[in-house]
Amino acid sequence: MIYTTDREIFRKYTDPEEFGKIKEYGSVTEMWEAILPQYADRVAVEDEGVKHTFSELENDAARFRPLIGTGRRVGILCRNGYGAVKAYIAAVTGGCTAVILPPQLPADAVFGCCMKLGVNELVYDPALADSLATVKKAAPSLPLISVDDASPDRSPVVPAAPSDPCVIMFTGGTTGRSKGALLSHRAVMEGTVNGCYGYKGVFGQRYLLVLPLSHVFGLIRNLMTSLYTGSALFICRNNKDMFRDIAVFRPTVLVLVPALADMALSLSRKFGRNMLGDDLKYIICGAAAVSPYLIQEYPKMGISLLAGYGLTESANLVSGNPESQRKPESVGIPYPHQQLRIEDGELWLRGDNMMDCYVGDEAETAAAYTDGWFRTGDLARIDEDGFLYITGRIKEIIVLPNGENVSPAEVEARFNEPAFIRDSQVFEDVTESGAHILALEVVPRMEALAGAEGDPKEIIVSALNKINDSLPPYQRVSRIVVRDSDFERTPSMKIKRYNKCK
Amino acid sequence: MNRQQITDRLLDILRSAADDESVADRCTEDSLLQTDLGLSSVNMLYTVIAIEETFGIIFDDVTVLSFRTFGDVVDYVERKLS
Repeated sequence: MIYTTDREIFRKYTDPEEFGKIKEYGSVTEMWEAILPQYADRVAVEDEGVKHTFSELENDAARFRPLIGTGRRVGILCRNGYGAVKAYIAAVTGGCTAVILPPQLPADAVFGCCMKLGVNELVYDPALADSLATVKKAAPSLPLISVDDASPDRSPVVPAAPSDPCVIMFTGGTTGRSKGALLSHRAVMEGTVNGCYGYKGVFGQRYLLVLPLSHVFGLIRNLMTSLYTGSALFICRNNKDMFRDIAVFRPTVLVLVPALADMALSLSRKFGRNMLGDDLKYIICGAAAVSPYLIQEYPKMGISLLAGYGLTESANLVSGNPESQRKPESVGIPYPHQQLRIEDGELWLRGDNMMDCYVGDEAETAAAYTDGWFRTGDLARIDEDGFLYITGRIKEIIVLPNGENVSPAEVEARFNEPAFIRDSQVFEDVTESGAHILALEVVPRMEALAGAEGDPKEIIVSALNKINDSLPPYQRVSRIVVRDSDFERTPSMKIKRYNKCK
Repeated sequence: MNRQQITDRLLDILRSAADDESVADRCTEDSLLQTDLGLSSVNMLYTVIAIEETFGIIFDDVTVLSFRTFGDVVDYVERKLS
């Protein structure tokens, strides 16, 4: 059975006047040209105390387009900020494909991504200059452009067809290795518009950007829907300042991963006041499983938490919960222009929002599809009212409560480097208090430590701690156990993977 | 505020950050925040925000993950308050 929905299903949950204003555009460029005259003098982005209107944003993008040219694949390595927004808009409305790299990538990975994803030039944030070291050494001919630069000349927008490439987003993907999912203009616009369905108070809102723009949830649901709806986007530069920023900016909509929504709730309780501010109406929550507890508790503070489901490969949004009819266990109603199918319990997807491919990875792309359907690896069901439920994951990839995707194989490879490690396993575990953490167990090769001075286990743990500290924060493990025995093995001698969180 | 008073308040924050009553009993100044106490990056963020609220201080150019041990945090707060 194939499930589809029509946008009309969302009409009753949306303000009638606003519902009529939700228009579909074939490309980001077409949308940008349509909204500029409408919102010209409104604030589009507020960053580091400076307000930038929509027309100022287009002016700055127009002076950036000559630097990046057209028809190019433009790497963007920037912290969240006005510069990153400007570079992204300049690229995607200038006939280029934006390759948005996570700002925390180490120098070697920046180089690796640029090569694998076919980046023609790299826009960088001067604060991240150290991360360019490998690129400068190993690819000296790759043009590097500071995000702060501007041309004296201006280039206008370049029209784009719906099927033209728009962005390449970094993802752990289905099989564990990091990949770049290519999303077309049509896919990005689907995600952008879908963010408008199911609640009241869609246009002219105040959004806060806490999530990284290198994540589809930050780029599409947060930035793109904010621009599309003529809303103001306040950029939170450091997560620890989130609540001070909220007090100043008073957002009406927050896009959060469950871990942050959970943290905001417990901090509000600890300090006896609503730290999210009295103007906040909605928390759009996703990128990891949302606890029904959050959906039930937030309304007590006058805030609706709307849980949704999406993937990088689906341009973020597959389904979302409409306001007022809440099923706390559900991830909501599927958005229009997609088809859903459940095969052996697994959710398969097809639709305008789906990626074109994993760039430079034909085998991975082919492996992700069956008969043109993208296999999500998530176990799902749909109830009689058309609400979707995600019941588990059949893939190895670990999604932590903060929404980060961790590929065990990738992290294990690092811990396997020392000679005295025979094997390792990175897995998701639950602590006694119910917290989900990333844990590491290793099987040592004691003979490699023969003759070493000191307690072998201490030497191992200290070396592993050093490796752990060198990993990007989201890949770091919270517990290290040195085993006395080998792991349980499958008949083909592979490690039998732990399954502690299913 | 002396070091012991700072420590007591920090342990209270740790308990709520980790959502784990036992964490304070296991904690010494040498405890590694991530590996020994099992604090995730979100727990660390909670801790930093709660410290700022509790002590009325603002961390300067400190990233959430730049502390290794519990003692590092006590030192930092003590320095900020003096």
